[in-house]
Amino acid sequence: MFHTALTLNDLLFLAKGAGVTLAITAIAVLFGTVLGTVFGALKAQASALAMAPLTFVLDVLRSVPLLIQLILANAFQSIAGLGWSPFIVACVMLSLYTSAYCTEIVRGGIEAVPAVTRRAARSLGMTWGQDMANVTLPMALRVALPGWIGLTLGVMKDTALVLWLGIIELLRSSQILVTRLQEPLFILILVGAIYFLISFPIARLGGRLEQRWREND
Amino acid sequence: MFNYTFHWHQAFQALPQMLWGALITIEVAVISMIFGIIFAVLIALCRLSHNRVAYGVATAWVEMARNTPALFQIYMAHFGLGAFGIHLSPWWALLAGITFNNAGYMAETFRGALRAIPATQTRAALSLGMGPLRAFWSVVMPQMFRISFPPMTNQMVWAVLMTSLGLTVGLASDLAGVTQELNVRTFRTFEFFAMAAVLYYLIAKAVMLGARLVAWRLFRY
Amino acid sequence: MKKTYLAAASTLALLAATAAQADKLDDIIASGTLRCAIVLDFPPMGSRDTDNNPIGFDVDYCNDLAAALGVTPEYVETPFPDRIPALVSGRADVGVASTSDTLERAKTIGFSIPYFAFTNVVLTHDGAGIDNFEGMAGHVVGSVGGTFEGIKLEENVKAWGKGEFRPYQTQADVFLALSQGQIDATVVTSTVAASIIATGQYPGLKIAGDAPYAVDYVALIALREEQGLINYLNLFVNQQVRTGRYQELFDKWVGGTAPGLTIDGVYR
Repeated sequence: MFHTALTLNDLLFLAKGAGVTLAITAIAVLFGTVLGTVFGALKAQASALAMAPLTFVLDVLRSVPLLIQLILANAFQSIAGLGWSPFIVACVMLSLYTSAYCTEIVRGGIEAVPAVTRRAARSLGMTWGQDMANVTLPMALRVALPGWIGLTLGVMKDTALVLWLGIIELLRSSQILVTRLQEPLFILILVGAIYFLISFPIARLGGRLEQRWREND
Repeated sequence: MFNYTFHWHQAFQALPQMLWGALITIEVAVISMIFGIIFAVLIALCRLSHNRVAYGVATAWVEMARNTPALFQIYMAHFGLGAFGIHLSPWWALLAGITFNNAGYMAETFRGALRAIPATQTRAALSLGMGPLRAFWSVVMPQMFRISFPPMTNQMVWAVLMTSLGLTVGLASDLAGVTQELNVRTFRTFEFFAMAAVLYYLIAKAVMLGARLVAWRLFRY
Repeated sequence: MKKTYLAAASTLALLAATAAQADKLDDIIASGTLRCAIVLDFPPMGSRDTDNNPIGFDVDYCNDLAAALGVTPEYVETPFPDRIPALVSGRADVGVASTSDTLERAKTIGFSIPYFAFTNVVLTHDGAGIDNFEGMAGHVVGSVGGTFEGIKLEENVKAWGKGEFRPYQTQADVFLALSQGQIDATVVTSTVAASIIATGQYPGLKIAGDAPYAVDYVALIALREEQGLINYLNLFVNQQVRTGRYQELFDKWVGGTAPGLTIDGVYR
């Protein structure tokens, strides 16, 4: 009835590609979130003038296509003789890209905490650090989490672009199979389904969290 | 310092070509936004309707657009449809892919915005004798656009950034395509793509500025 | 005390001097790995078998080169436009990737003597109505951006003044577009055309005559300044022919008499 030349080996090949996708996503989200939290806290705290250079850099990261950023970073590391593998270039650039968006999410979260609450914490004798750790960030987390989940899924989808650097992630693996087997429609739909299955449950979880935590006005 | 001689004059010589490419980029982004908005409104309405088919199709569109990579969507528009015998040229495939993506994301934004508009507005409009379509068009939709304006601006910037993916389906006329064409002939990757990055940044800034002007003009009272 | 200090300093200086003179050839041998940039959507020079492992004439040449150097081969897959960037950015040590030795490219990287030669043919699908090279005028044609035949085809399309040229980013995409009828024809080497038609996976593709391009000699590529490595590659290519390995691999992957690799009337 339905015949395909796809073997178990090929499915494992796709699974390996998916593994690379998830690995790069995990590393990028980890470092991006750490950086983003630091930058976001800084931006919520310091004056706009002092933050201007950082704001500019993060703005550039959000205004230039990721594909162009990856190509440029790869060209730059070769000129500078850094000798980074494509995987490292991809992780570095995706981390920076994630941090640019995460900064805004964290800043929005912190600014959603009422200033009176923060001032109350400080007036009780808490240091800035204690206020952040015990009062502000837990409340900011509630506001920021749905946005952060959306960002994570976005980064997972954007890892498809690293195929340009020669990394064999999920989409490139599927292209290799299409080349060998010449079943473009079937394999592309299969890969679309894999992306969907990775992304959809987490997106739904995020949506549900957002609904549960929404303030009932 | 670097063991590399920069050939910036080559990049500057190619600037006119790249500017023409930038024009095509803006063109594709704008058209994809216009059609994306039209489809998004329709999809948002379908999602709020009780018709099973309309709801199913609309939901499928939104979930597929939001849960698969944009590169995948563009690649599918060219090679996926091609397997069905539907030939979309690289320009059309890029446009279709970005429009599909835009519509999916903005439909969600619009749906959220529509839920934020109290039903009393619609009921009041209907009680004044307006038909449902007129009520939507004149009363609800303007408010919906007003609420959705910042996300729509973001989506426009993303549309511009997504056009860079056209070179993977053989598009050589937009900014990224032109830059890649120059790159594969001369291998001056850094110079040409640095130039392209600056141009993309300027276009993105222009979009944000334009959006702020439009907002100031349209939404003031 | 002073003597030991002097001895230590001069040893260090000697070591530093030796280190400074180490070139790519030494680096490859020292590292134990030869990273070859290789194209894997271009049978029979490079493709993947049913286990998705690299096979092909270029793959075998890479293995031979690694064996000659006494190191293990590592394949860095690069689509056509990415061969030279991979070399320049340091992802690969050598390119065994059917790279045509054009003067334009020689400004950026160094070529060995030719190790293979191609003739280019017109590949088209039934129903496009193209019977020869000139028949492509007015049609939508495509090729891989930046390749020898791709650049020439784009110039032809411009000269004809009609039709459209599409540059794709991999050879695989070109064949996919051709098989779907998105482009009417392309110009490729006779070997790859014969190879993909023989797979039977592209029904309706046919060769429609030769392309009037000069014989396409391809060479191994390395960084422009690595003269030591390039000299070694030259001798390697010579030895492959001399020992009969060239003809042996040609028989294995293509069949027939291997093309000559010299130009009459000029030394190199």
